[in-house]
Amino acid sequence: MRLRSALSIRSLLLFFAAALIFILCVIPFASLIYRVVSADGDFSIAVFGDVIAAPAVRLAVVNTLKVCISITALSLIVAVPLAWLITRWDLPFASRARSWLSLPFAIPPYVGAIAWIYLANPSTGLFNNVLGAPIFNIYSVTGLIFVETSFLYTFVFLGVTSALDRMDSSFEEAARLSGASPWRVFRDITLPIIRPSLMSGGLLVFLAAVASFGVPALIGGPARIYLLTTQIYNFQRIGSMSGFLKAAALAILLMFVALFLLIASQIVISSKKMQTVSGKTARPSTFSLEKWKWPAFAVVAFFWCVVFVAPVTGILLSSLSRTQGDLALANFTLANWTRILFETDETVRAFRNSLLTAAGAATLASVVAIFVSYISVKTRLKGRAVFDLFSSLPYAIPGTVVALALIMSFSSSFLGVLPSLYNTLTLILIAYFVKYLSFSIKTMSDGYRQIDDVLAEAAHMSGANWSQTLVTIWIPLLMPALIASWFLVFMPALSEMTMTLLLTGPGLETIGTLTFQLQEYADASGGGASVLALIVIATVILINVIVKRVSRGKYGL
Amino acid sequence: MSTVEFSNVSKAFPGGAGKAVDDFNLKIASGEFVSFLGPSGCGKTTSLRMLAGLERNTSGRILIDGVVVAEPESRLFVPPEKRHVGMVFQSYAVWPHMSVFENVAYPLKISKRPKAEIAQRVTEMLAVVELSGLEQRMPSQLSGGQQQRVALARGLVMQPKVLLLDEPLSNLDAKLREKMRVDIRAIQQKLGLTVVYVTHDQVEANTMSDRIVIMRAGHIVQTGTPDEIRRAPVDAFVADFIR
Ligand SMILES: Nc1ncnc2c1ncn2[C@@H]1O[C@H](COP(=O)(O)OP(=O)(O)O)[C@@H](O)[C@H]1O
Ligand SMILES: [Mg+2]
Repeated sequence: MRLRSALSIRSLLLFFAAALIFILCVIPFASLIYRVVSADGDFSIAVFGDVIAAPAVRLAVVNTLKVCISITALSLIVAVPLAWLITRWDLPFASRARSWLSLPFAIPPYVGAIAWIYLANPSTGLFNNVLGAPIFNIYSVTGLIFVETSFLYTFVFLGVTSALDRMDSSFEEAARLSGASPWRVFRDITLPIIRPSLMSGGLLVFLAAVASFGVPALIGGPARIYLLTTQIYNFQRIGSMSGFLKAAALAILLMFVALFLLIASQIVISSKKMQTVSGKTARPSTFSLEKWKWPAFAVVAFFWCVVFVAPVTGILLSSLSRTQGDLALANFTLANWTRILFETDETVRAFRNSLLTAAGAATLASVVAIFVSYISVKTRLKGRAVFDLFSSLPYAIPGTVVALALIMSFSSSFLGVLPSLYNTLTLILIAYFVKYLSFSIKTMSDGYRQIDDVLAEAAHMSGANWSQTLVTIWIPLLMPALIASWFLVFMPALSEMTMTLLLTGPGLETIGTLTFQLQEYADASGGGASVLALIVIATVILINVIVKRVSRGKYGL
Repeated sequence: MSTVEFSNVSKAFPGGAGKAVDDFNLKIASGEFVSFLGPSGCGKTTSLRMLAGLERNTSGRILIDGVVVAEPESRLFVPPEKRHVGMVFQSYAVWPHMSVFENVAYPLKISKRPKAEIAQRVTEMLAVVELSGLEQRMPSQLSGGQQQRVALARGLVMQPKVLLLDEPLSNLDAKLREKMRVDIRAIQQKLGLTVVYVTHDQVEANTMSDRIVIMRAGHIVQTGTPDEIRRAPVDAFVADFIR
């Protein structure tokens, strides 16, 4: 009798988690497609043709390809040598350099855009002022590629360093003993073996670049350089139904491109996968830099200054400057801080809204992940792989598309049950949940995998039912994973900009949308956006430190 | 063929407690088969890797063929790619993206030998390790024992001064292990190789070696032929270990 009731609680909770994922992660996209193809009463895919035919869209496609391919190539070119240098040579402070260079991964790229606009805009940019001539113009394709790369290279850097760590070091040692120079070892052995990580790193960069919105909007906008995401935003902002349909049609195309790339690459990568990871990971013997030790260190340090120190310093100066780009002592003031923090109603609302929605999404995602990860790791339930797939779908889809899909599904009353969620914090919370759920599931699945089943079995033996086992055994043991999972959703949600800009409305400011608004028009010459950006950076770094602590170095930077 | 000499060699890992290898002294004659024998963690691998140049000794000096290859006191260090030693790893380290032929040919390709010579030498070497006919196979299509033989052929193809083997048989099943013991010893005798062989298995050490170096906690406890050690172990540890 007890067994039956236990089973039914378990099935009920599992069913609920599954239904939630289906409703939030799958139906919106299906309904986005349905609404677009059936817009004029009957099914027609003509709308896609019309959208593609528009010259502005054509230009956006060309720009997107040009920019994203450049970003991907540049990221590979800078990140692979850095990863190799740090993991295989006797670089001074190598392990510290590794965390320094990973830092930009945690910071939203729009923060970098704000910083580089302060440093290198053509009229009042600090560098141009100091040099006395308008040499740098961040409002350009080059500027856009530069700023995006300075963040996205971390995708390749993190993936490749971890592949190099995991690689059986005797492959390379055998090559050295065969007489190969460091360069030959790299070219003949290391590179071919890490190629799958290289390709997936490159793909992640490309997808992230295609999906990026903040940087193209802030840097491309003033130069009238539009990418697909910013073009979708333009259509949506027209405010009419036809504008919305155009935005949605373009979004669907973007979604399919992203999914196609992801699936195609998965096939290519898995076909190339080789067994190269040995159980034992000895510290590999490093190459000796000899007299190049300090020059190499200087190069790494300089690179770090470009991608991290310069933008953070820029943001700090900007937030303290009365007139942007002026270094005169009299120009420095705390006025921006007091204005933004204490004299602007929106700021308080933005912080409250961001905290509420990010914490809500993080909590919901972690709770759902407790069940979904349980299913995928600890049961042999048929079709459990589908959960993983469905929940990771929205992460692969550009945020712009996710937001439009949610608007489409939830703006009229959903299935006749829920009231309309358009222009509510709830919809923003749902967007964060949907977008970042896969972080939670991945973290919790890792957590479950590390816990031996016998612990739960022992609890069953002592008479505990399923829910008692969950509460008394699994959850306490999973606490570090649970905390990491919570923060891994909370952190990106707190400063999210792309989706929120489409979902926001009066009174629904968040840190991301307020920053955008201040930078774009409300406080364009005032450095107000920099105040918020600096707070975002500080928060992100703080959270990373916490996550690293609680997960004992497994998560966080 | 070549001699090897360790003279007062020590190794302390940064952050490690104590020395992994402490005051290691040993002379190996040309054509000699010497085994380092001892329990796990006693410093066998570290000693071998210092000889290969994969690890740097923190003091003392190492000579190959009478030439100093590592002496931290005089900041002298010859990197592994310039030491002309062959090595067979416990994990075999057969490169997964290269065929059997390409694996074995690699050291020759690096030293820019002519194509015809490479083909001939690889064929010869594969015959020695009994892998003729498998030239075009990829490592994923080979058994553990066959991969082991590829690694051996690759280590030997350059006619190295010394061949180093680190527990090469520990991943093989018992039967294959026995056959490989005999084969490795036969190849060593045939080619007159100087071999340093690391193992924690006293049977391997006893049956293959000219001389055994017994180690414990980074120190050499006893050196001698298998017979000498069996007849006169210096202490209870050795007696117990060699039994
Ligand atoms: N890379 C390393 N860093 C720190 N300590 C190490 C490293 N490699 C080996 N050691 C330590 O040195 C000692 C000897 O190790 P090793 O030579 O591998 O022993 P064996 O091969 O005899 O099992 C051990 O105590 C081991 O923990
Ligand atoms: Mg060992």
